[in-house]
Parts: sequence; structure tokens; C-alpha cells
Amino acid sequence: MTEVSHDPSAAREARTPPPVEDWIAALTSEGPVRDDALRRLHAVLLRGARFQVSRMSALRAMVGVAQVEDIITLAADEAMVAVLGKLSTFEGRSRFTTWAYKFAVLQAAVELRRQAWSHREVPLDAVPPLIEPRPSPDQYAEGAELAAAVRRAIDGVLTPHQRRIALALIVDEVPIDVLAERLGTNRNALYKTLHDARSRLRAQLVLEGYLAPSTRSPGDTR
Amino acid sequence: MTAPDRPLPADAWRLLTTAPGAWLSCDDCFRLVDRYVEAVLSDASEPASGELAAMPAHLSGCSACAEEATTLLLLAAGDEDVDPADALRRLTAS
Repeated sequence: MTEVSHDPSAAREARTPPPVEDWIAALTSEGPVRDDALRRLHAVLLRGARFQVSRMSALRAMVGVAQVEDIITLAADEAMVAVLGKLSTFEGRSRFTTWAYKFAVLQAAVELRRQAWSHREVPLDAVPPLIEPRPSPDQYAEGAELAAAVRRAIDGVLTPHQRRIALALIVDEVPIDVLAERLGTNRNALYKTLHDARSRLRAQLVLEGYLAPSTRSPGDTR
Repeated sequence: MTAPDRPLPADAWRLLTTAPGAWLSCDDCFRLVDRYVEAVLSDASEPASGELAAMPAHLSGCSACAEEATTLLLLAAGDEDVDPADALRRLTAS
């Protein structure tokens, strides 16, 4: 298989700089001009997918080498369909290649997360209470009191749904796409739950005097 | 994955209390991310404005979107032949 690059400069070296204004015209034309544009677009999308996968080393190690290459190819193919289907929505407010890359990057990231977690259990039925950790001296220095307040707030002010989603995403580090798939929902809905959970936790910490109302950094203690 | 007894990991409380900022969905983040990374790459001093104003907070709070936006920024920087180091620091800065 082609070696997956870890170096951002690889993307720079491999780039194909087509005239930006030509992309839409070429892709909506006919004959050899369109065929050439399609070939160049697929190369752009392969580059985007490969670069995304190259940056996800921990998850990449959890799937086989051949599977990684399949993920890259599949992502580029699916991104090609998405880009061509949304061509009329491209407003020219970014480079065409930057706009196109994002479809390949998303497809590659979602698919690698899904494949890497395909054999891992995500038990969500019963999330036990958090226990009081015994802080190390370093943790004292970094605000063990605030950490304990956060732990209490998690159990005290979050709904059961907010609690299990927040802990799965932040503590157990389940990828949001994987969690969405297991729960039959989507990334937007889970991120909204996390967003609301953070608002509740911060409100409680302000109420208890651990954060100032206008404080933006969670590390700022009373 | 979920042990019977579980301490709160050292840095989890920071991630759980990240200021959520104005609401922006992951779909809207995806819609805007190509414009946002190019804006971050092209302007060293101006904070995100208009529709893009909610992007830094979203990327600070959503690790998946942040991971993808970082890749996009590196790809765009490669195409523009610019050093992405400063822009990477500004990607999630409010």
C-alpha cells in the first residue's frame, strides 16, 4: 500500500494547484475537460482523506494496514459524490480545494473512528457514581478543590442523559460519531447535550463561588 | 469501558467545564470550516467575526470538529505555501 504520511509538508509537496476559477467550469463541462477535472478532483480528495488518516495515529493503529487504505479510498469516493452533488452550493468564499477537502476529511475521520471502535463495547446503561480521588500534590496545585466541585456537580445538576453523554465523550473518550451511531442519533444532538451540560456545570460552579460569572477559563478558581 | 468505581481523570474537569460559548451545531461548523480556516490563515490579528465568530468556541468544545478543522487548516496552508504554526494557535482562540 502507499505509505501514510505523518508530515504536513507531504500535503504541500503533493498538491496540484489548478486555477481556482476553472474548477466549476471544468466539472460542469463535458468530454475530456470534465474527465480531467474529475480525475484531478479525486486526487485532491484522496490527498485530504490520506492526510486526515495520517494524523489519527492512535486509531489508525487499531485497524489493519489494508483496512486503512480501504478507508482512505472509500472516503475519497464518498467525498467525490458529496462534492459533485453539492457543486451548485459552492459560493466561492474559500478556495475550491479547501471546500472540497473538508468532505474528504470528514468522511475519512468518521470512518476511521467507526472502524477503530467497531469491536469495542460502549456500555451506557449504567454509569456508576464518580468516586472521590485522592489528589496528588500536583493535583492540589492545579485545583483539586475545583475538581471535586465539578465531580459533585456532575452528579448533582446534570440530567441522567446529560451525565452519561458527557462522561462517555469526555471521561471515556468515546468518539462522538461512534457514540451517535450506537445511540441512533447524530453528532449535532450529542454536541448539544454536551453544550448544555457544560452550561449547567459552569452555572453551578458560579453559584458555589468556584468560578466568576464572567470567567471564561475553567481553570480560574475563586 | 466504564469501571464500577471511577475517579474523574485529572484533566476531565477542565474539558467538562470548558466555556460552551454561543451555540453552533456541528453541521454549521462543517458548513463554515473552509472559510474559517482560510480566514485564520490569512489574518494574524483579527478575531473571527460575523458567522465565524462562534467557530473558536465550537472548536474548543468539540474534539471531533477540532481534529478535522486542524487537518483542513494544514492542507490549506500547504496549498497556500504558508507556515501554519501561528494559525494553529489561533484556531480555537476566542
